[in-house]
Amino acid sequence: MVSVVNTVDTSHEDMIHDAQMDYYGTRLATCSSDRSVKIFDIKNGSQILAADLRGHEGPVWQVAWAHPMFGNVLASCSYDRKVIIWKEEGGTWDRLYEYDGHDSSVNSVSWASHEFGLLLACGSSDGSISVLSCLGDGTWEPHKISNAHTIGCNAVSWAPAVIPGTLMDAPSGPKSTPVKRFVSGGCDNLIKIWREEDGQWAEEKKMEAHSDWVRDVAWAPSIGLPSGTIASCSQDGRVFIWTCDDPAGGSWTPKLLHKFGDVVWHVSWSITGNILAVSGGDNKVSLWKESTDGQWKCVSDVNKGQGISSGPDETRPEQ
Amino acid sequence: MAARVVQTFSGWRTMSCELDGAASAVAVSRDGSQVVVAGRNILKVFAIEEEAFVEKVNLRVGRRTSVNYSCSDVAWHQLDDNLLATAATNGAVVTWNLSRSSRNKQELLFAEHKRTVNKVCFHQAELHTLLSGSQDGSMKCFDLRRKDSVCTFNGQSESVRDVQFSPRDYFAFAASFENGNVQLWDLRRSDRCERMFTAHNGPVFSCDWHPEDRGWLATGGRDKMVKVWDMASARPRELFCVQTIASVARVKWRPERRYHLATCSMMVDHTINVWDVRRPFIPFAAFEEHRDVTTGIAWRLPHDPHLLLSGAKDCTLFQHIFKDAKRPADRANPEALCFGPRGDVAFAAKEGLSANDPARRALPGDRRNPFFFIRKAPEPYDASLTQQHSGSVCSVLNVFQRCDAKEKLNPLENESESFVELAQRYCLAGRPFAELCDHNARIAMELCRHQVAQTWLILKLLYAGGDASPSPALLPNGGIFCGKDGSSGLGGDGMSERGKSEGHGDGGLEEPNEETEGSDVENLTASVGLYAAAAGLYSGNGEEERLELLDQDTTTSDFPEFSLPPEAFALRHEIVDGPAGLEHLQTNGPDGPGSGDEDGTDEGMRSACQGKVGGSTAGLGITAAESVSLISVSQPLFGQTLPPEVFAPAVIAMLEFYAERGDVQSTVSTLIVLGEKASGGVDTLVQEHWYLSYLELLQRFRLWDVATQVIRLSTCAAISALNHDSTSLNLNCSSCRRALGAKGWLCDRCRRCASVCAVCHHAVKGLFVWCQGCSHGGHLKHMHDWLSASPHCPTGCGHLCEYT
Repeated sequence: MVSVVNTVDTSHEDMIHDAQMDYYGTRLATCSSDRSVKIFDIKNGSQILAADLRGHEGPVWQVAWAHPMFGNVLASCSYDRKVIIWKEEGGTWDRLYEYDGHDSSVNSVSWASHEFGLLLACGSSDGSISVLSCLGDGTWEPHKISNAHTIGCNAVSWAPAVIPGTLMDAPSGPKSTPVKRFVSGGCDNLIKIWREEDGQWAEEKKMEAHSDWVRDVAWAPSIGLPSGTIASCSQDGRVFIWTCDDPAGGSWTPKLLHKFGDVVWHVSWSITGNILAVSGGDNKVSLWKESTDGQWKCVSDVNKGQGISSGPDETRPEQ
Repeated sequence: MAARVVQTFSGWRTMSCELDGAASAVAVSRDGSQVVVAGRNILKVFAIEEEAFVEKVNLRVGRRTSVNYSCSDVAWHQLDDNLLATAATNGAVVTWNLSRSSRNKQELLFAEHKRTVNKVCFHQAELHTLLSGSQDGSMKCFDLRRKDSVCTFNGQSESVRDVQFSPRDYFAFAASFENGNVQLWDLRRSDRCERMFTAHNGPVFSCDWHPEDRGWLATGGRDKMVKVWDMASARPRELFCVQTIASVARVKWRPERRYHLATCSMMVDHTINVWDVRRPFIPFAAFEEHRDVTTGIAWRLPHDPHLLLSGAKDCTLFQHIFKDAKRPADRANPEALCFGPRGDVAFAAKEGLSANDPARRALPGDRRNPFFFIRKAPEPYDASLTQQHSGSVCSVLNVFQRCDAKEKLNPLENESESFVELAQRYCLAGRPFAELCDHNARIAMELCRHQVAQTWLILKLLYAGGDASPSPALLPNGGIFCGKDGSSGLGGDGMSERGKSEGHGDGGLEEPNEETEGSDVENLTASVGLYAAAAGLYSGNGEEERLELLDQDTTTSDFPEFSLPPEAFALRHEIVDGPAGLEHLQTNGPDGPGSGDEDGTDEGMRSACQGKVGGSTAGLGITAAESVSLISVSQPLFGQTLPPEVFAPAVIAMLEFYAERGDVQSTVSTLIVLGEKASGGVDTLVQEHWYLSYLELLQRFRLWDVATQVIRLSTCAAISALNHDSTSLNLNCSSCRRALGAKGWLCDRCRRCASVCAVCHHAVKGLFVWCQGCSHGGHLKHMHDWLSASPHCPTGCGHLCEYT
C-alpha cells in the first residue's frame, strides 16, 4: 500500500475543509470545522505554525490567498455566514474586513486576478453570490447576485484577466479594462459564468452537464493561448473540462474527463494550467493531463500509484 | 407499542400549519397526539394527524383578551393528558383543564410573580406539583390542589430563565439564570440552593436534563455555547461544549440518541440544529424550514428520535421528520486539495476515509474525531532533483519510486524544478545565436526535456546553418532535412500541429527543392562561402568584410533563381549594397565583437523578414531599398537555399504549440533568442500575453532577476515598458538625513557622498541596502553580516534596523 510521505498533525480539532498555498508556495493556510484558520510556513521542508486565526463562529469552509502585491491577505468563509478578510501587518494577523451579508453558510471564496485589485467572490448556501471589492480608501463595497443558484452555491472561481494588449495603451491612452468574469457551481447541478457589465453582474452562460450538485469549479490559469478552460466536478462523480475557443466567451463545450465511483470534491489546476489534480471521496488524488490528441489521461494516482505515462510525447529518442 | 410507532413513522412527513400569531413555546401531550402552541396572541391545541395539524381547541376565548393569556411558556403534564400550564408575561401562572365542558378551559390562576414568568414545569411523577421561574428572580412551587404557592425559592441573583425538574432525583430541580449561573435546588429546602456554578458568560436561556444519562445537564446561553455538565460528580464538570453561531434559546436532548441535542437560537439563525455533542463545531442535522427565529421545540414522543415539533416567530408550527433534515456535516467537504506553485500537492483528507491504511488508522476512544493532514509531493521521479528542490516537502517517497521506467522520462513529473532550473540556466543573449541554441539545448537535455532540447538544435540548424562542422555531403539534402525534421520535431506529437506545420513546410519546400537539386554544385560552393561569411560575421573581424562582399556576389548569382525574379533588382543592389554593408560593420565595429554581432544579425533578420513579407504578398511590391537590405545581409540561412518563409510558419507553430501546452517558458525563451527572426510572424498581442504569462510564473518562483532580464530582452514594446515603471527612488542623505535631490549620490548640504557603507566606510557601488528608518546602510553583504550579529544600526545611531 501507500506509504504516507509526510503526515503532519495540524492540531485542528476537526475535519480540514480546505488548504491553500500562497502565491509563492511557501505558506499554507488550512481551515477546519473547529472554526480556526491556521497558517503554516512550509519553507525548507518543514512546517511551522505561523498563525492561528480565530474569529469565525462556525466551521470554516474555504480560504483564499490574495495576490502578494496586496500584502499577505487571506479570505475565509464560514458556516457562520461570514466572510472575514485577514491581513498580516508586522507579523500579526488582523481582520481587515468582515462581511455578513449572507443569510446562510458561505461555502466558497475566490480572489480575482490582481489586475482587478482586491476583488472577492463569495458563494453561499442562500443561493446568492457576493462580489466584494476594496475601494481605494479601504472600505469595501459588496455587490450581491441574488438567486445565483437555487438551494446554494458551492464554488466560485475567477477567470484570469486575459486581455492581451491592455498594457499597450498605457500610460497615455485610455486603458481598456479586461472583462471581469467568474464561474460558479451550485446545488442546482449547474455551472454558471458571470460577467460584469457596467458595474452590474449578469449571467453570461449557464452550463448543464452534471446530474448532481456541482462541488467545485476551477478556471484554469491562462498560460499560453487565451482560450478559456474550466474544470468542474460533482457529487455525481464526474469531472468535466469545459473549453471555450471563442474569445467572446459564447460557446463552451464540455468534455468528460472521467467518471469516478464516488463524489469528487475538488479540482485544482497547476499554475501552468496543464495538469489538473482531482480529489474524490475515495481519498485519492489523481493528476490528469491532456495528451496531444486532446484526450485527458491520468498521469499519476497518488493513492493507487499506478502512474501511467502521459503518452508518447517527450519520449522521442532523437539525439 | 413500539412496533406501532415504527409503522406509523414511515407514514409521517414534514408538515406545517399557519398560526394566528408568533409562537413562543410549544408542548406535546404525553402520547404525542396533540400539541399546544403558546404565544403572546395565541394559545391553541392542535391534533397531529398524518397529513396535517387540526386545530382542536382555542384556549383564548371570550372578547376580553386578558394579559393572563399572553404566554411566554407552556407545559403539558406528562401524566394527565388534560392538564396544561402556561406562564404569562404579566407574571400569572395559569392551569388549564381540557376536559372541562365549557368553552373556557381555564382552571387555576396564580398571580404571585411580580414580573414575567419565563418558564413553567410539571413534575414528572407528581400530579399536582408545578414549578415556575420568573423574571423577578424567584421560583415558585405550586400545589394544584391549593390556590397559592407552596414555597418560594429565591435565587438571590437575576432573573430565572429556565427551571427543570430532574428526572433522576425526585426532589431536585435545576434553574438557570440571567447572570450565567445554574443552581441546583432541593424542593424541600427553600432557603438556599444545593449548588451553584457559573455555566455561561451571560444569560443561560435554557437547560435540559438528559433523559438517560441522569447526571447530565445541557445548558445554552447567550454566549452562543451549549454546554453539557456532569452534575453527578462532586463539582459540576463540563463534559462537552458545542459552539453555535448564535445565542442559544432552547436546548432539548434527542430521545434515544445519547449524544444528540437539539437547539434553536434567539436571533440571526432560524434553523433548528441537532448536534452530536462529541462533534462540537458542525451540526449533525439542521431543519431550515422556519423563516424567522424558532422559539419552541419539542420532540413529539419521548422515545422516537425522528419527529420534532417546533413553533416560530414566523407564525408557523412545524413537524419535522429527521430524514428530511439537512446534514451540514455530510455536506461539508471532507477533503482539501491544492496544487502548489511548485508542483506539490497539498491534500488533506478525512481520517475515516482511509481507515484501512495502517499508517493512518483511526484512534478509537478519541472523541475529537482525529483527522490527519497529509502533504506529499506526488512526483519525485529523480532523487537528485528533489533534493535540490529547496521548497517544502519531499522526503523519501512513496509508490512513485516503484513506477516503471517510463515515468522517469516524463518531464511533467518535476515540472516546477526544471522550470526554475531552466529559467536560471538558459542563456538568452550575449552570445552568438548558434551558441545560445547549443547552450540551451544542452541544458534542456540535462533536465530530460528532450523535445525542448531538440527544438533548440533545430532552431540553430534553421537559422544559424547547422553544425559548426558541416560536411559537404550533408548539405545537398540539408534543406530537406531541416524542413522535415523541423516540422515533425516542432509539431511534436500533436496531430493537429504536425498536420499544420507539415502542410506549411511541404508546400513551401517543394519548389525550392527541385531547384536546389538542379543547382547542387552552385549551392554547395555558395554555402561553403556563406559559412565563411557567417564565421566572419560572428567573429566580427574587419578582414571578413571582403569575404562578405564576396559572398554577396555569390548570393546574387543564385538568388534570382528562386526568389527574386526581376534582374533589375540585382543591378540596383550592386549600387546601394556596398555602403549599406559598410555601415553595418562600422557601427558594429566599436561595440566589440559580441554585441555588435548580435545587432548585425538581428537587423539582418529584421530586414530579411521585411523582405519576406513583401515578397510573399506580391513580387512587385518589393521596393528597391528592401530588396537591397535583404541581399546585403546575406545570412547563411538564405544561402541554405531556404528562404525564411519556408520555415517561419513552422517556427511560429512551434511557439504556439509550446504555449498551448502551458510551456510558455520554451515559447518565450526561443522567442527571445530568435529575436526579430520570429517575432514578426506572431501577433504582438499574443506575444505580449506570452511574455506576461512567463513573467508571472517567474515572479511566482521569485526569479526576479530572470524576470528582469526577460523584460529587458523582450522585443515587445509593452513589455519593455514594464521596466520603466516606478523606477525612481527617493533617497535621504545618510549623514544629515536631508532628502537628496536629483544629484543622486552627493548631498548638497554636507558635501559628502551619501552612499557610504556604514560598515566599511567605502562608497557603495552595486547593491546598496539601507534601512528605511534611519537611512543608514551599506553593502548588502556587510549589512547582512552585521545584522546577523546585532539588531542595531552599524553606525551606532541606536536604531533597531529592520530589513525585509
